Amino acid sequence: MNRRDFLKGLVSTSYVVLSGASVLAPLNALAASGAKSKDGWLTTGSHFGAFKMKRKNGVIDQVKPFDLDKYPTDMINGIKGLVYNPSRVRYPMVRLDFLLKGHKSDTTQRGDFRFVRVTWDKALHLLKDSLDEVQTKYGPSGLHAGQTGWRATGQLHSSTSHMQRAIGMHGNFVKKVGDYSTGAGQTILPYILGSTEVYAQGTSWPLILEESNTIILWSNDPYKNLQVGWNAETHESFAYLAQLKEKVKQGKIRVISIDPVVTKTQKYLGCEQLYVNPQTDVALMLGIAHEMVTKKLHDEKFIEGYSLGFDRFLPYLLGESDGVAKTPEWASEITGVSPEIIRDLAKVMTKGRTQMMMGWCIQRQQHGEQPYWMAAVLATMIGQIGLPGGGISYGHHYSSIGVPSSGAAAPGAFPRNLDEDQKPLFDSNDFKGASSTIPVARWIDAIMEPGKTIDANGSKVTYPDIKMMVFSGNNPWNHHQDRNKMKQAFQKLECVVTIDMNWTATCRFSDIVLPACTTFERNDIDVYGSYANRGILAMQKMVEPLFESLSDFEIFTRFAAVMGKEKAYTRGMTEKDWLIKLYDDCKAANAGKFDMPDFESFWKEGYVHFGEGKPWTRHADFRDDPEINPLGTPSGLIEVFSRKIAQFNYDDCPGHPTWMEKTERSHGGPGSDKFPVWMQSCHPDKRLHSQMCESKEYRETYTVQGREPVYLSPVDAKKRGIKDGDLVRVFNDRGQLLAGAVVSDSFPQGVIRIHEGAWYGPVGEDGSKEGGAEIGALCSYGDPNTLTQDIGTSKLAQACSAYTCLVEFDKYQGKVPEVSSFNGPVETQI
Amino acid sequence: MKWFINIWRTLNKPAKFLTLGTVSLSAFLMGIIFWGGFNTALEMTNTEEFCISCHSMESKPYQELQETVHWSNHSGVRATCPDCHVPHNWSRKIGRKIEASHDMWGWLLQTVNTSEKFEAKRLEMASREWKRFDRDNSLACKNCHNYDSMKWDSMSKLAQKQMKRAAKLDQSCIDCHKGIAHKLPDMGTSRAPELIAQVGSGENTPQSEQTYFTALTKPLFYNDKTDVEAGTLNIATKVKVLETKGNRVKVGIDGWRKKIGAGRVIYYDFGLNILSAQLTKDAALEEGVIETFEEKEDPMTGLKWQRVEAQIWTDKDYLVSDLQPLWDYARDTYTTSCSVCHTQPDEAHFDANTWPGMFQGMIAFVNMDQDTQALVQKYLQEHSSTFDKTSH
Repeated sequence: MNRRDFLKGLVSTSYVVLSGASVLAPLNALAASGAKSKDGWLTTGSHFGAFKMKRKNGVIDQVKPFDLDKYPTDMINGIKGLVYNPSRVRYPMVRLDFLLKGHKSDTTQRGDFRFVRVTWDKALHLLKDSLDEVQTKYGPSGLHAGQTGWRATGQLHSSTSHMQRAIGMHGNFVKKVGDYSTGAGQTILPYILGSTEVYAQGTSWPLILEESNTIILWSNDPYKNLQVGWNAETHESFAYLAQLKEKVKQGKIRVISIDPVVTKTQKYLGCEQLYVNPQTDVALMLGIAHEMVTKKLHDEKFIEGYSLGFDRFLPYLLGESDGVAKTPEWASEITGVSPEIIRDLAKVMTKGRTQMMMGWCIQRQQHGEQPYWMAAVLATMIGQIGLPGGGISYGHHYSSIGVPSSGAAAPGAFPRNLDEDQKPLFDSNDFKGASSTIPVARWIDAIMEPGKTIDANGSKVTYPDIKMMVFSGNNPWNHHQDRNKMKQAFQKLECVVTIDMNWTATCRFSDIVLPACTTFERNDIDVYGSYANRGILAMQKMVEPLFESLSDFEIFTRFAAVMGKEKAYTRGMTEKDWLIKLYDDCKAANAGKFDMPDFESFWKEGYVHFGEGKPWTRHADFRDDPEINPLGTPSGLIEVFSRKIAQFNYDDCPGHPTWMEKTERSHGGPGSDKFPVWMQSCHPDKRLHSQMCESKEYRETYTVQGREPVYLSPVDAKKRGIKDGDLVRVFNDRGQLLAGAVVSDSFPQGVIRIHEGAWYGPVGEDGSKEGGAEIGALCSYGDPNTLTQDIGTSKLAQACSAYTCLVEFDKYQGKVPEVSSFNGPVETQI
Repeated sequence: MKWFINIWRTLNKPAKFLTLGTVSLSAFLMGIIFWGGFNTALEMTNTEEFCISCHSMESKPYQELQETVHWSNHSGVRATCPDCHVPHNWSRKIGRKIEASHDMWGWLLQTVNTSEKFEAKRLEMASREWKRFDRDNSLACKNCHNYDSMKWDSMSKLAQKQMKRAAKLDQSCIDCHKGIAHKLPDMGTSRAPELIAQVGSGENTPQSEQTYFTALTKPLFYNDKTDVEAGTLNIATKVKVLETKGNRVKVGIDGWRKKIGAGRVIYYDFGLNILSAQLTKDAALEEGVIETFEEKEDPMTGLKWQRVEAQIWTDKDYLVSDLQPLWDYARDTYTTSCSVCHTQPDEAHFDANTWPGMFQGMIAFVNMDQDTQALVQKYLQEHSSTFDKTSH
């Protein structure tokens, strides 16, 4: 379809665009809907921490950190904007052409953002009809409702649980395995260290602060990432980072940040930085390992007693198997790190106690399994795995890992699965020869090439023919790669349904959009600190749901009623019954260990405290007795060489850690002659992924000319005539975006950063929202995944490779379009 | 009523003949005498002699105590009734005494005056005491036993593993050590109570030559008498009963072990890391415990494996004849607990040797006691793609 046809399509559909009179109703007008609740201070929590909130005249008036939160995040200033912002989904809405033609709609219009308001009743019946049609025509392989993400906190209203339980009562569907954050890491590490490691509790900070001489932060920015957590975040880790800062100052602990850019953590700690060329960390690690072997710095006794296969890795390291010795000189050529520094690193890391702390970014690149594997091998060679303040961790930047756990039980959740005695309306499990579970990041490939068979983690996956997607509290139009490829794929879908509180880009590319209320418009319960398990937090409703939004519980209870399964869905229990059940079950699980008052007292108080935990060392039991406490690897030992992986025979993931060239790599690598700049799209500093981008006033504290910042080096800026604050067009063969330049010497030449989570806002050549449906459209706000590459890390994990991405940029000279990411759809009437 | 009013008036009048000093002094002396008497009486009630002056206390709990290590041991330290059952600090002691006056009713009403009545009430009485131990985190035990003073090295590896975990959490001793001073009530178990409620606590008299499955992780012993542990038998493990003596059975455990270390760990089958039993080093080397058969190299790791059969003793409880109820419980726990954050993967999505890594890598998010954890992991392994070839 060309642009001319597209515009013709727009004209031929008869519709009226409503004038945007009430885009953002003033707060006092909203107050009416919240008038039922009494004013005063209440307790609640979120991924961003726990809060006290003050309700005044039925609206949220003030937000202050919870008493126990000594290090609240700056993002607390964005909380009110999550509730009151012009991007709220106010009513159930249906895409114009879908409302007219249903499953036979013109899907090239998807993304043109023209939506029609409908009633809840109509919307839920449309959802039921669509599911009926897909299950009848295609069976379960036609429906993918398995894509889930970061939701909002709260164990009762956890949006993905509700959606999957309700949709599962209708029929079976395709599911995912793995996640975007740690896809490569969580697949490779069970073979090497015997656990996902990325989500495992780590050695406690007090022991690290006491015992470590050197801490290596490898591509790791904890000071930025610990601001948010999977549950209500306690921010206790920041107290330890403050102590670490002090120890760095006193020269008691040496911290080296190995990273192409100067991170927020490095600036905070005032520690050393070691620049390395992007995507070349494996080469650097090999160079260090080579030096260790040459100088006999490695711990041969530990390797012998606790690992397998070092002898099969050594010939590769020394170059006997491929003719290339991985010397510091060899590594230097690739990494841009001098041989002297590499030699020195080998010495530093093997002298005294060294704790390696890996970030997650370097496994989100092509061959992302390798840096994690090779880092584990380095830690094995150092020989301190299982000692306090030594060894390696893959999660100290995540959700209170490293904060001693209280050991208490956390509350469970509203059930995601069907109850034992329940059967779906459509009970077919015939996936027509296709796989019922696919690697999380391969769903777009599946939509585009149904029936294709790929390798994944030792088995074969055959892509199902997906016709319909259902998302809830999940924004894949943020976290998936390559927007223009996604657009093509979405044109092949018959129906897309999204339940969300704000008009994310996923809503924009949907057919049916249902308004969920925010965390602060419902009662819920959460654990305080995902790994710390510091206590139980009451999440008290601040205001009544705005507009026509409903809680997840209410939405899917109503949908269950449409299916005639309301009672089966709720087990005949009200929202309050469930809340009390979750609390009481938790109380029972803690009986005799942790005192919990009755529910009423808890709810009044808003919190139950479980007290502090005791420090703990990861893998200490394994080190103590590897026979009785084996790792979860095939051998029970650390596997430097994995026979299991080797026998998969994957060219992109052989039996030992290997340096492999990427399809795109800056600083002299493939493709850098055409697109010389590496773009990193790491987790944002002022959002949780794409959550809070819609918080308008807070967003405006960091945007540049209303766009997402692109951080770039003074050298690159000067070369392109760009000044701080200029609008910049960033592009490659996959797409183009506008962003606002922030020139900073924290960034080296050839490296730019745009934080992921910047809301996708495509516009047509005429700058219109409607034109955003076109393939190749410019992103008006700066979503980096407009430019990233949608390929698997390897045949092993098939995880996302967002970090293997080259771009070019210039000063934007064209007509400046308005940002189209926010403020919701083009509301239309028929 | 008149006499009462007269007395009241007299008491209410200021003293006519006595000086203020005399009044104060006599009140002071009376106070001392009264207080002394009270304390003496209190202390009297705090002696073992007083405790066992009731027949029901003497005949059951006291007799049972005399058979335990808390009564006689090589260091000659004895714990008597009040050491465990009365708080040492004064105000809480008084509270406990007031609470205990309730026992007088029991004595008057002859609530537990026969063995049958006592047994019927045993669980209720024990539960009350356990609750009290729970409330102060087993302070009575900790008056003598201290995590910080424990000498890990002199414990077996298996004991260390359990105790270090408990020490880390400053766990209440009674959580695990119930029934050490008196007989354990018939109550199923304090461990994984929901699991036991579902699968039962096993056959009363396991039959020889029959196969059973463990409903909990169980201690192993060298013979039918000793309390010296020889290892642990993992949950949901198939054993064959060879011999029964009193409360013990001798079982046969078939499996394979890796030829590393002392070969203390017995697995379900060749090349599969599905745990059946862990022996102490001494037990593994003890003559007659392990019979060895053929050896094979596991191509996935290059490690040598050896087929073995262990013959060793365990208590006869918690041996169930049907494995399925255990699996049902495990499946239910897995689908509930592991879907809190995400969809749980199909059991057959991973193979038997990959599951431990995946499961252990996520366990920090999940609340499961140790028995349930071990059961769920075993369930996943035995329902993995290694066994279920129908999955993709």
